[in-house]
Amino acid sequence: MLPSGVLCKSTTAALTAGLDRIPDQLGYLVISEDGVLASAGELENDEHTAGVMMEMVRTASRFRLQGSADPPFKRMSVILEDFVYTVTVSGQKVFVVKRQNNQQEPISI
Amino acid sequence: MESTLEQHLDDTMKNPAVVGVLCTDQQGHNLGCRGSLSDEHGGVVSVLAKQAAALTRDPTDNPTVCLESESGNILIRSHGTITVAVHKIAS
Repeated sequence: MLPSGVLCKSTTAALTAGLDRIPDQLGYLVISEDGVLASAGELENDEHTAGVMMEMVRTASRFRLQGSADPPFKRMSVILEDFVYTVTVSGQKVFVVKRQNNQQEPISI
Repeated sequence: MESTLEQHLDDTMKNPAVVGVLCTDQQGHNLGCRGSLSDEHGGVVSVLAKQAAALTRDPTDNPTVCLESESGNILIRSHGTITVAVHKIAS
């Protein structure tokens, strides 16, 4: 039998699915219907953001384009002045990453 | 006034990457739309914009919501009391 510390570490690693290795990430959340499963960085214990993100995922999943059988989104991003929240859904879990917004100036054409 | 909005919608659709555009008020009522976006999308668009605003404490920081899928990107942003959604495909 493995020592409990080893078991715990591997479970957390599977849960965060490499979110901690994303470049420019400031923090992340892993959320299920039951609540926050994992959190780190600027999003550590951020229940408010977790709640808003779950609401947004529920809202966005109701968005259907005419005649499309595809799921409404593969990825949802919320772009703010200084940072970006990127949200993906896998299985029963919602993954949220907060990243630095390296804003590019719009080009005029 | 409506004709100005209608003109803007038509002009937006002239961009080859844009396949749909929609304007809605805070209640999700459709103010005008073209292409792939229609009446039925007004509610979701206005609610998403409202929910995204709860992610920042800075009232001047206007969030843009982007739904990315196989059928392109839906970009949603509020301007005052009006929310605009644009459906873009890769061009």
